[in-house]
Amino acid sequence: MQDLSPSIEIDDAPEAVLAAFVERDWCDGLPIVPPTEERVRAMLGREDPHQSLGPMPPLWRQATLEKLSVNAVMAGCEPAYFPVIVASVEAMLDPAFNLYGVQATTHPVAPLLVVNGPYARRIGLHAGSGCFGPGFRANATIGRAIRLILMNVGGAWPGRHDMATQGSPAKFSYAIAENEAQNPWGPLHDGDVVTVFGGEAPHNVNDHVSTAAAGILHTVADTSVSLGSNVGWFLSQSQLLIAFGPEHAVTIHADGFSRADVQRFIFEHARLPLRTLKLGGMWGIHDWPRWMAAVTDEDALLPQVPSPDDVFVVVAGGPGKHSVVVPNCTFSRAVSRPIPRITG
Amino acid sequence: MARIRVLSPVGAVNTASFSAPPLPTDLAGRVVGFIDNNKANFDRLVDDIGALLTKQYGVKRVLHRKKANAATPAPAEVLAELAKECDVVFAGSAD
Repeated sequence: MQDLSPSIEIDDAPEAVLAAFVERDWCDGLPIVPPTEERVRAMLGREDPHQSLGPMPPLWRQATLEKLSVNAVMAGCEPAYFPVIVASVEAMLDPAFNLYGVQATTHPVAPLLVVNGPYARRIGLHAGSGCFGPGFRANATIGRAIRLILMNVGGAWPGRHDMATQGSPAKFSYAIAENEAQNPWGPLHDGDVVTVFGGEAPHNVNDHVSTAAAGILHTVADTSVSLGSNVGWFLSQSQLLIAFGPEHAVTIHADGFSRADVQRFIFEHARLPLRTLKLGGMWGIHDWPRWMAAVTDEDALLPQVPSPDDVFVVVAGGPGKHSVVVPNCTFSRAVSRPIPRITG
Repeated sequence: MARIRVLSPVGAVNTASFSAPPLPTDLAGRVVGFIDNNKANFDRLVDDIGALLTKQYGVKRVLHRKKANAATPAPAEVLAELAKECDVVFAGSAD
């Protein structure tokens, strides 16, 4: 049995544990489960505690499985959740995700975890009503573990390396399963896969009246873009994630729209005119391809993502005429990883 | 009150450390580089500081290189050029 990290001794009372962790800037302000060696070893299972997934920005500390376990215990995770956390960290450390930028920016970005496959259902990752929370242990604690890891391993503390101007509730926890059973287009990914998406908190899409695809998709497209959004300014890395409520998805699908049709429609309609883009936002410090930078027609409608493939279509939630748009931070690409360490 | 032992959640750095050479005490005859993060007005700041360094401190040359945008790293070729050409480099972080 390999040795684990140095430990500290504290009073064994909930208030004392919370106070000790808050005092050291070791938690998010909420009560934690004390990461005793016994609990951390149970979280690790047969994994090598010293195996590192790599250095995590912004302070480039090693993301060892032991440290991931300590934070997962603190967050309230069951050991069965750990493979999802490991796969999520692997995905976030992919250079395409630009975790340094995601961690350090003034923008309120948080990694959204979208989990596909039967394992998510087995561990109770919720995909139905209220899946963004609150109320579901797997969603709440897996998302929280990711945040604690970003703070304690990566070193992104609010106002000190995490320079988000105002932060976001999504930074506490941001994890869902896809509602595959009610997705008429099939899942985002086949099998047990986690996707990390560097997004803003969900933007509500309310469409109570449309009975055809076009109405709902126009409402989605309109919600997807605004002058104050980050998405679009650094075009090559801009992406949108649309989580359709099942009722909206059924209506759109019944109108004959394939997933590609949905992506194309949103790509074509989630646009802003040049004259609007010139009013503020990041005008003047934007990073656009040459063809867009050359446009002079003030009424030209310019895309906010580089291609239809940069519109991610998933289904999540329960009954109701709502969907959500998650715009990304404009400097991170979504990354997916299989969940490889499933045992038992 | 019973006591309990808990593990630290804080990660450790285990990459090899290196020593940066000391900064020169005199900029006369030196080449100074700036990495511009491309946010508003940093280009103006570089122009002004560059002129001041040249005029008052005898800096031989100023290199001003921009990143594509503020949130992504400087390209490897820019870093290589600055490392090769400059005696001192400022990483600009206008905001």
